[in-house]
Amino acid sequence: MLKRITIFEQKWLRRAVIGLFAVCAIASVSGCSANAELQEYSAPEPLDAAAEGLSLFERRVEVIAMSCAACHGTDGRKATAIPALAGKPFPVLNALLLAYRNDQMPDATVMPRIAKAYTEEELRAVAEYFANITPGAEE
Amino acid sequence: MNLFLKRSMMAAALICAIWTPPNASAQPSWLQAEAIQAVLQGAAPIQPGVRLDIPAVTQDGSSVQVSIDVDSPMTPDDFIDRIHLFALDNPSPELIELSLTPLAGKASFTTRIRLDQSQTVVALARRSSGEWLAAARDVRVTVSGCLSREGTYRSEQLMQARVRVPGQGRQGAPMEVRTLIQHPMETGLREGPDGAIVPERIIERFEAAIDGEKVLTAHLHRAMAANPYLLFMIAPERSGELAMTWTEDTGVAATERASFEILR
Amino acid sequence: MTMNRNLTRRESLKWMGLAGLGAMTGFPSLSLGGDAPSGHIVVVGGGFGGATAAKYLKRLAPSLDVTLIEPERRYITCPFTNLYLGGVRSFESLWHTFDELRDELGVTVIHDWAKDVDVEGRRIQLSGGESLSWDRLILSPGIDIRWGDLEGYDEAAAELAPHAWKPGAQSRLLRRQLEEMEDGGTFVLVAPDNPFRCPPGPYERVSMVANYLKNHKPKSKILLLDAKDGFSKQGLFMQGWERHYGDMIEWVSRSNDGLVMRVDADHLEVETEFGTIHKADVLNVVPPQKAGFIADRASVTDASGWVPVKPRTFESQLVAGVYVIGDATQAAPMPKSGFVANTQAKVTASAIIADLRGLPPVDPSWANTCYSLITPDWAISIAGVYEVYDELIREVPGSGGISPMDVGSVFRKQEAENARAWYAGIAHDVWGTRSLS
Ligand SMILES: Cc1cc2nc3c(=O)[nH]c(=O)nc-3n(C[C@H](O)[C@H](O)[C@H](O)COP(=O)(O)OP(=O)(O)OC[C@H]3O[C@@H](n4cnc5c(N)ncnc54)[C@H](O)[C@@H]3O)c2cc1C
Repeated sequence: MLKRITIFEQKWLRRAVIGLFAVCAIASVSGCSANAELQEYSAPEPLDAAAEGLSLFERRVEVIAMSCAACHGTDGRKATAIPALAGKPFPVLNALLLAYRNDQMPDATVMPRIAKAYTEEELRAVAEYFANITPGAEE
Repeated sequence: MNLFLKRSMMAAALICAIWTPPNASAQPSWLQAEAIQAVLQGAAPIQPGVRLDIPAVTQDGSSVQVSIDVDSPMTPDDFIDRIHLFALDNPSPELIELSLTPLAGKASFTTRIRLDQSQTVVALARRSSGEWLAAARDVRVTVSGCLSREGTYRSEQLMQARVRVPGQGRQGAPMEVRTLIQHPMETGLREGPDGAIVPERIIERFEAAIDGEKVLTAHLHRAMAANPYLLFMIAPERSGELAMTWTEDTGVAATERASFEILR
Repeated sequence: MTMNRNLTRRESLKWMGLAGLGAMTGFPSLSLGGDAPSGHIVVVGGGFGGATAAKYLKRLAPSLDVTLIEPERRYITCPFTNLYLGGVRSFESLWHTFDELRDELGVTVIHDWAKDVDVEGRRIQLSGGESLSWDRLILSPGIDIRWGDLEGYDEAAAELAPHAWKPGAQSRLLRRQLEEMEDGGTFVLVAPDNPFRCPPGPYERVSMVANYLKNHKPKSKILLLDAKDGFSKQGLFMQGWERHYGDMIEWVSRSNDGLVMRVDADHLEVETEFGTIHKADVLNVVPPQKAGFIADRASVTDASGWVPVKPRTFESQLVAGVYVIGDATQAAPMPKSGFVANTQAKVTASAIIADLRGLPPVDPSWANTCYSLITPDWAISIAGVYEVYDELIREVPGSGGISPMDVGSVFRKQEAENARAWYAGIAHDVWGTRSLS
């Protein structure tokens, strides 16, 4: 079982890399570098926002992210032929989602059809949402 | 909400479906539609009494079942002689016109239409005395995520008809007749695989007569669903034979006959 | 431009850190902030919609009191029932429990039927005699059969000609009948008009039955009598049938006299609109349906038998404070699927919590993906994302759609693997199922 997961994960990662290249390609056209994006990214700063309510946009993103769980398991923790999302690096998730949205993922099945329903800003926020979940044990 | 309230709400919904007469100040906007005025010629529908049954939401605009039922004794002195059906926001609003005789026994029919988008469907019915009755319903057309639709018409079956006529009936009790003919009802608005417009080709007329005596004639327009379907009533006095003829706009016709026995 | 982007990202990072914090400390609340909402939410039905609603209410606002009412101790899914019928999945693999809800999330689970609803007094009566009051009520009762709508098809007839459209004994009965059928027999499936539970379901069912018959009783035939002229993923299904089952499956559209008007369960015969009689060896009738009866008791159904809801929240259009989700609702163009029920539950949980906090509901987003297996290694899918536009639900333009028509077996096999993975994922999400039997 463990071995199987690893194979799927590898396959998934390979796709992620292809996706990243795709994003680099677009980014270089539009004048900003995806590499810079990668380096710039760091762990979220500690927060004192516990008392702060979420904005409408944030609550909408929460609803979108919760819908991912219908395939990826609660909090994106289920690893099967469909990969877990919890705790995956933000740049990978973000690049993947954008690549799905822009039809740059060879062999993709349903994800392009789904990702096209959201704005890039929403996808980025969803990627951040899952990147920030501690993976724990994948189930 | 208690049961009484609920019942009265449902009753209210039903009453709304049977359209209430407009007063001069508040005429429903659909009355002003060109296609409808072309028929009414300024006459205002003055009475309720048309029941128009169509789903409020439909997931397949290519074939929407609609039933019309008009209160009428259908006697030679007082019967419904015409019924018109419109879909106001289709590329051409006319759907079907029926002309009826008392031999139908009941001013009631069911058919299937095409709806291009969400819109208002209107039925007009004329009493033999010349008064018009009307009903309108709003229909929302959605293409369901799980219901992508392709045509199912098979060319080798062109003009093949199916009918169902009860073999036996009782005098004075209207009988149900079901008919269907295989036909694509090409609208003349659709592109074929080669990108060229597929020319209009439709069944344009349907006639039903009992031993030579007319029961009903229908004029069909291009927004009738493929494989035109018509369910109507007959109330013959004596045993006989029902003949049904469909005519294509090319002039080609098909006829089906069925005999029945009437018990007294 | 770069500045701007960074700012946006930093802002969302702030928020994301917030959610992450919740996950890291093991505190399941995502929507931190504001006053902790309080109140008693009663959820009726422990299926795809109800169990998800109870779970996400508790995850989003642990301070809420949540009670789930569901008669069964073990929920059996309809999804993958067809695989069980096709002999490629065990019956036990469809079972799920309410342990996670009760033991890990603190939902009060009562195994009983909700019998009646007093909407003015905000109380619900259970069959066992208990009565509960609620601040908000969520109904996810699924479907009931319209017994008698199809002449001759009543509860007694279903013991001879099963529907197997609600899981459990009916699926076992149909499976036994298939096992007992002789090679060369005819399996007849009667498919209903829209709307009904799981639009691709009847077509996946004949595929899986064909899979079983091809391997065990290859001389048999399948006749699919349909009340419609078209169906979900039709082109993909028909292509798959031809490729894998030759002419074993015959589909009869409504215009070709496929509409069944009468069922004679004693003789396993059906009569169509134009008077053709078909004789079956195994007869599977998928009958007309309506919302589960408790929706009627709560006065939320309309003349169609289904429940009209406000699109943003799925609060009933007829009774305030009562929310209805899942198959029982009129939510077209969303299909009646388990996936949709699951995402509706989340939107509604979010909306109820917002309401308790005095906040407006969000612009909702619902999703659907329905896989259908044509063989165990050949599957097709349809996906859709839905939103509210002009106060009506619609599919987000430019998104969604079905699997491509002309792809090879690698793609179809990937989708078959994804189908099984989806099942594991949604079972994890709805009932906390960690491994399937
Ligand atoms: C053959 C088949 C295959 C399917 N395949 C798929 C698929 O692949 N993917 C997919 O997404 N969907 C699929 N579906 C559809 C899916 O099963 C339904 O859409 C889903 O179950 C709807 O969820 P729900 O919560 O509305 O109802 P249900 O899941 O039916 O849950 C309703 C629950 O409420 C309980 N209940 C009812 N009345 C009461 C009451 N008065 N008091 C207490 N409890 C009550 C019932 O016991 C039941 O547990 C399939 C359906 C069928 C029939």
